[in-house]
Amino acid sequence: MKKQPIFPFAAIIGQEKMKLALILNVINPGLSGVLIRGEKGTGKSTAVRAMADIMPMIQVIEDCPFQLDPVNEYEAYQDICQNLGQTLPQSPESLAVTERKVKVVELPVGASEDRVVGSLDLESALKKGESRIEPGLLAQAHRGILYVDEVNLLDDHVVDVLLDSAAMGVNTIEREGISFTHPARFTLVGTMNPEEGELRPQLLDRFGLCVHVQGIDPIDERVAIMKQRIAFDEDAVGFVSRWVHESEQLVERIMAARDLYPKVKVSQSLLYEVAKSCLDVGVDGHRGDIVILKTAKTLAAYEGRCEVQATDVRLAAELALPHRVRRQPLMDIPDSIAELRRENSPEPHSVN
Amino acid sequence: MSFGFPFAALIGQEELQLGLLLNAVNPAIGGILIRGEKGTAKSTAVRGFADLLPEIDVIKGCRFSCDPARDVDWCYECRQRKMYPESLCRPIRLINLPLNVSEDRVAGGIDFPRTIQHGKAILQPGLLASANRGILYVDEINLLDDNIVDIVLDATGTGWNTLEREGLSLSHPARITLIGTMNPEEGELRPQLLDRFGFCVEISSCEELDQRVELLRHHQSFELCPQSFRARFAAESQRLRQQIRQAREQLPLVRMPTHLQSFIGELCLSNQVAGHRADLVMEQAALALAALEGEAEVNVEQIRRVATMVLSHRQREALPPATPPPATNPSEQGRSEENNHPSEDERTEPAENQPSTAGDTTSNISGQEQDSKQTDNSDPILPQTPQEESQPDKGPSISEQVFAVGNPFKVKNISSTRDRKIRRGSGRRSRSRVSQKQGRYSRSGRRGVPGDVALDATLRAAAPFQQQRSGDLAIKLQPQDLRFKLREKRLGNLLLFIVDASGSMGARGRMAASKGAVMSLLLDAYQKRDKVAMITFRRDQAFVNLPITSSVELAGKLLNEMPVGGRTPLSAGLIKGYEQVRNYLIREPAGRPIIIILTDGKGNVSLGADKPINEMLKLAKNMSRSEQAKYVVVDTEDEGLVTFGLAARLATALGADYFKIKDLQAEELVRIAQERQ
Repeated sequence: MKKQPIFPFAAIIGQEKMKLALILNVINPGLSGVLIRGEKGTGKSTAVRAMADIMPMIQVIEDCPFQLDPVNEYEAYQDICQNLGQTLPQSPESLAVTERKVKVVELPVGASEDRVVGSLDLESALKKGESRIEPGLLAQAHRGILYVDEVNLLDDHVVDVLLDSAAMGVNTIEREGISFTHPARFTLVGTMNPEEGELRPQLLDRFGLCVHVQGIDPIDERVAIMKQRIAFDEDAVGFVSRWVHESEQLVERIMAARDLYPKVKVSQSLLYEVAKSCLDVGVDGHRGDIVILKTAKTLAAYEGRCEVQATDVRLAAELALPHRVRRQPLMDIPDSIAELRRENSPEPHSVN
Repeated sequence: MSFGFPFAALIGQEELQLGLLLNAVNPAIGGILIRGEKGTAKSTAVRGFADLLPEIDVIKGCRFSCDPARDVDWCYECRQRKMYPESLCRPIRLINLPLNVSEDRVAGGIDFPRTIQHGKAILQPGLLASANRGILYVDEINLLDDNIVDIVLDATGTGWNTLEREGLSLSHPARITLIGTMNPEEGELRPQLLDRFGFCVEISSCEELDQRVELLRHHQSFELCPQSFRARFAAESQRLRQQIRQAREQLPLVRMPTHLQSFIGELCLSNQVAGHRADLVMEQAALALAALEGEAEVNVEQIRRVATMVLSHRQREALPPATPPPATNPSEQGRSEENNHPSEDERTEPAENQPSTAGDTTSNISGQEQDSKQTDNSDPILPQTPQEESQPDKGPSISEQVFAVGNPFKVKNISSTRDRKIRRGSGRRSRSRVSQKQGRYSRSGRRGVPGDVALDATLRAAAPFQQQRSGDLAIKLQPQDLRFKLREKRLGNLLLFIVDASGSMGARGRMAASKGAVMSLLLDAYQKRDKVAMITFRRDQAFVNLPITSSVELAGKLLNEMPVGGRTPLSAGLIKGYEQVRNYLIREPAGRPIIIILTDGKGNVSLGADKPINEMLKLAKNMSRSEQAKYVVVDTEDEGLVTFGLAARLATALGADYFKIKDLQAEELVRIAQERQ
């Protein structure tokens, strides 16, 4: 089946912060996702879907519904085969492996719990006397991106399930006579329109980063956006091919950053700066500190540096803290962390 | 085996670590509840703890991990064994109970494939069986479904899991240490469950800069290379493991001096703890701590160290609360009443698989003290309520006042009438058929949720044709035999409050009484897991003060600060409410909103040219056409010589249930909604 061409990520105009947040998550899946807040028609969904375009390649065990890595998750694969009563592989080398791009799996708002976690095909159990597992969306999204449009409208049950596996990196199915576990580490990307209601705090905290998007004001840019959209709609294939070069460059940069990331160093004083920025604005728990650190390192890697700079930490704080700041009920998520810090602490801070 | 964050590397969580270790030493403590804000290493600690668990002897091949040395506690299978059982030494299990768990996986259910093959009901043990003599871990335990909570409670309370379902009738030992984590922001735990935990630990993030940096450094090196990080703490982990093992051996030998026993009793008494569980737990905990520290006798210091963990969730009054908690009285009454009511709530539902009522009797005793604790816990949040929040509403007006909330009470049961629609969701208000694999299995049918097969009914359907069919299996099934479970369950509703905040409401304590009524309804909504929204109208417009949310606490805070003053734009309030309901119904076509209007009905601002009262009644007439919405009008008008009775006319136009505030109280009448069904 020929796939519908996707609007190229590189061709998206404006919304730099959102694009940056998405790219950082591609470079470092450990950032655990991004929440994009904003009104309708600000390119949220387009950008997330376009991520498929800039994804790196990964190795996957062929025909494995759980998207397992042939090297690092060999043991998990053995366990699953055993649990499903399939023949065990002889050795890691004997596995058929395919290479494919990291997937963006969409979780529709109306998805039922079974579809998300997976379920047992009981009819086959009754007819043939054997159990068969129907993997859910969490299995599909393993090592990929789980995209929830309108995440604030998600059913409570489904949110609970998401929280569970986002925290553990493992999806545990305990229902209808099956007891089954498989790895489910995914990058959670959600979009929401705050007018429709807020997210539960616990779920909010699971998103590593949070960006707020608005419509673009300069008239020239608005025109440029319109022109591009029309060009894409008229001749999608041609449009995509015109952006191939840019897309490839971006992918290369991402791959380079992925390789560089483990080598990035952080100085002692910047570690203090990270902890201090969290204390200054007042956040719950320590996830904020950790995410800022990771984000700053990823930023440095994306810039091709081996050393984290103060600007990285500041930018990382802008991305990682807004939704973690302790708020009074019904208060909005703050726009700028730097401003908030200036308000909260007597000594002046520079704004980036 | 695991590559988790090592337990020993946690920073600044000494009490939590101690609590977990003591539970590993002495299972009689009865588990630990970890309360804390998000991102405070709650789950990380428990998962790291799994690595340190000591080994125990179990009977080889026993699905319930029976102890070879204690034949009184053996399961029915071990009792039937002919030979003396072989034993096996393995680490204590930590069983994870995921939130999406289904009833049959918790309590145990029919093993489908084997039942089909052998033609008789065969048990597939659930998680309670696997967790026997081990630890059952529930992450985010306050989000667990109520029917699951009931099953777990019953088992942990009695130490036995009794199954009466789907043709199975048996019981097996389930002595379980329960570990739960929760974030109080997401809602509190049911009091019965709270008391089942031996310990309760409140944790928070550290505010110390150096500690935070230390933590960051740990995390960084863990992220870079988990293996080498674990190796760094391997020695420390090994030491802890050794310490636990020794303490377990030592435990039976540790003595508790008599004078310290009475010290424990005094401690519990002076802390207003009802019941004796606290005393027992504290004694066991102190023994465990002494054993852990390698001492033969408990000392005072050790008791002091465990006391907070034992008492914090059992204290009737922790501290004199800063603001009088309005919730205390009604929830106390509410709880105990609900429990006593045989027809109330899920109480009837688990009955089919839980003939034992031990859970109920103990819960009634403990329920009261727990409830007050619950409100205490929320207290620290209350004083924070921002003043700024109501400021924009207050505006420049001078005639506005904020009235205190009157005494809340237990409200009548307000619920939607039953219909044939099938819904999904959670909550505890109105009964509905559900299209999900949760809830009580009420009947079976040819159509249902795919995969939710009702085995008993399927077998009955297939039975007449067995002679004519052929096949390898003991029972020959064909697709047309399949029957599915039709389930029933209570679901939460949307409660939309439209509150009159005009000047006329301020007179003679009426606002306080009205607020009290709304607060009572909110408390009820909280217990029934409803969604709430609140609209107030005053001066010349209506405000959506609270968009649709599940956070009843938020609604409560808002109510506290709601100012009163100005004229009465009742029509605007109705329209606003209608808009909210309409939007809600677009999103949830099967939803059943309940709109509760608190007013004296004296509207004096109209939207159009019509007279306010006429306009209001016309609007109400139109609104009453919506079939899904149910309206309740609470009349706040004083009973005096001259009454206008406008709220009653509004109620008639809406086709609403009509109450005076005092009629809302549950004690006065049998529940109206129930009668009408």
